[in-house]
Amino acid sequence: MTTPEKPKMDDIHPAARPFLFLGETKVKRNFIWFPLAGLIIASILGVLHPQKHPAPFEMIGDWPIPGSWAIFGFLAYSFIVFSAPVLFRLLAKPEDYYGEGGLPDPDYSTDPDITGEAHHD
Amino acid sequence: MIDFMQVNPGLWVILAGLICAVMPASPLRKFLAIAAPVFAAVMIFNIYDNTEVLAGQFEIGGVTLTTLRIDNLSVVWGYLFCLAGLINAIYALHEKSWITDSSALVYTGAAIAGVLSGDMLSLFVFWELTAISSVFLVWQGGQHAYAAGIRYLVIQVLSGVLLLAGAVIYANSQGGDFTFGYIGVDAPGGWLLLIAMGIKAGFPMLHMWMQDAYPKASITGTVILASFTTKFAIYALARAFPGTDILIWIGCIMTCFPVFFAVIENDLRRVLSFSLNNQLGFMVAGIGIGTTMAMNGVVGQVFVHVIFKGLLFMSIGAVMYRTGTAKASELGGLFRSMPYTTVLCLIGAGSIAAFPLLAAFVTKAMILSAALEEHLWIPFAMMLFASAGVMEHSGIKVPHFTFFAHDSGRRVKEAPWNMLVAMSLAAVLCIVLAWPWGGYELLYSIMPYETDYKPYTWDHVVFQLQLLFAAIFAFTLLKRYKFYPAEKRAEIVDADILYRRVGKGVAVWTDAIWTRLSARMKTLRATAGRHIGRKLYHAFSPAGSLSESAPSGLAALMTASVLILVLIFAYVAGA
Repeated sequence: MTTPEKPKMDDIHPAARPFLFLGETKVKRNFIWFPLAGLIIASILGVLHPQKHPAPFEMIGDWPIPGSWAIFGFLAYSFIVFSAPVLFRLLAKPEDYYGEGGLPDPDYSTDPDITGEAHHD
Repeated sequence: MIDFMQVNPGLWVILAGLICAVMPASPLRKFLAIAAPVFAAVMIFNIYDNTEVLAGQFEIGGVTLTTLRIDNLSVVWGYLFCLAGLINAIYALHEKSWITDSSALVYTGAAIAGVLSGDMLSLFVFWELTAISSVFLVWQGGQHAYAAGIRYLVIQVLSGVLLLAGAVIYANSQGGDFTFGYIGVDAPGGWLLLIAMGIKAGFPMLHMWMQDAYPKASITGTVILASFTTKFAIYALARAFPGTDILIWIGCIMTCFPVFFAVIENDLRRVLSFSLNNQLGFMVAGIGIGTTMAMNGVVGQVFVHVIFKGLLFMSIGAVMYRTGTAKASELGGLFRSMPYTTVLCLIGAGSIAAFPLLAAFVTKAMILSAALEEHLWIPFAMMLFASAGVMEHSGIKVPHFTFFAHDSGRRVKEAPWNMLVAMSLAAVLCIVLAWPWGGYELLYSIMPYETDYKPYTWDHVVFQLQLLFAAIFAFTLLKRYKFYPAEKRAEIVDADILYRRVGKGVAVWTDAIWTRLSARMKTLRATAGRHIGRKLYHAFSPAGSLSESAPSGLAALMTASVLILVLIFAYVAGA
């Protein structure tokens, strides 16, 4: 039986060490419950504290929709993300499309992949 | 003897920049970079007494210039630019470049002097000076930034030329009065002025210089650039075009279209440039609405925007300084190496997304409320949509792909101390200016109109949280089921393709055609040239026919011709 490899602590900033759990797959996967809980609580509070001046599209008849901004936010965000692949196909070109090269500039970059040596370390 | 109270405080900052240009000692330059904006702020404080101050007036060529005007509108921009100048100077302390120090100070000073100018000619001078001084910050980005810098300069100078043309036409209609006040699009020259300001403010289809030049500037250059030019233009719009209906729609389009570019962009400094464009849209829409609440919202939004946008650019700049790249596809997991920068970036991200207790929460809502009050339902819906977009690109994408997401394996040092100090200062302001117990009242106290707006009401907090939590939930859900697009290296083409590709192609084609035609028509041109030259010689030479009746010869004849043309032109223009 093998024990899971512990991350090397030497190259981790001391202030970051207590928060390394944020990088764990389980934590990342379960993070979804945090905004969902917030969303549910805020929607319930929307029933208790309805908008004083809702726009017409935030109402059904004379009744303001308690979670109208939640619905709007979810749909708007999803629309933006789902439009991304189509837009990428339409607008994305190779990085040297304009003949000016991509970033970063090899002369100025400290990117180890470009310079071959780590700067500022 | 100089009367300090008559001098535009921005001029002291410009003077400091000129001194920096010839000062070899870096510590002294850095001292000036910090001291000059502080001194300018002290001078504004001493000069302004809560009533409009007009000073530095003199007459030149029959035109009265008012080089200093501080009132309830310009004073906010004056203080803001001094504050931004101070934060930027601290952020740039590590950079030993006299070009950066000098051009940053001249640029900052020109922006301060511009917003404190009382007439359109002074405004034009500082408008152009911001363009000329700031291009060096773009060029400091390296060889790849040269062409972008040229494009930036051409567009900025064009904006200035349009401003001058509009100002002359407008002043002519006002009996030669160049005072810079409300103009409106119906006034002569109004449209020219609006377009001039629209170029600098990043109106749709006039915005490309921003996303072209800002990401290519030096690390500190981008931070400095993001503070002044566009906000200077917003000031000019707020002064000249409040309540102009078309600005509502222009502003709303500005809030929405950058969202779609930002989501597919890989360069995070370019993402932030689109985000900047989107935030300017809220301000332009607010100016278009033009009510007292909207204008207060615009002023508040400008103030906090300079701070939190600066904070975001600074944090990505710090990452770029340490890793050498700002590409989302090459970053990730940096919270392990740069925890302080991570927290500061998150404060900036929360501020721009308008989380309660953070900056934009107390200002953006004023613009949205003003739209609701005026029953502008579609603009309101567009701005609400854009608010979800802000959460996407600046609230989630920038911090997520930089500090979290997959671990890129980069292990670097935390940002230099001076960068952390500058970012911390901005982060503290983001919190203080939205603090529910006395903080936001401080921000509201500098707004141009009295306000009793209360941002911390139950419904505002709850519904804003609904929007933000829904956006974060959508992100996590789409990411979990792999609908969120991966970050890929690419050049995302924008409307600048019209001149960078199509326009360039037309120019190259025209040049090629001209070269070929020129070769074929060489003989014809030579014959025609000789023939015309002979005729001219016979007419204008001392022995020519015209000299017989005009003894003073060619010079006198040409002078007379030009004079006649000028007189005809002046007569027609005067009529």
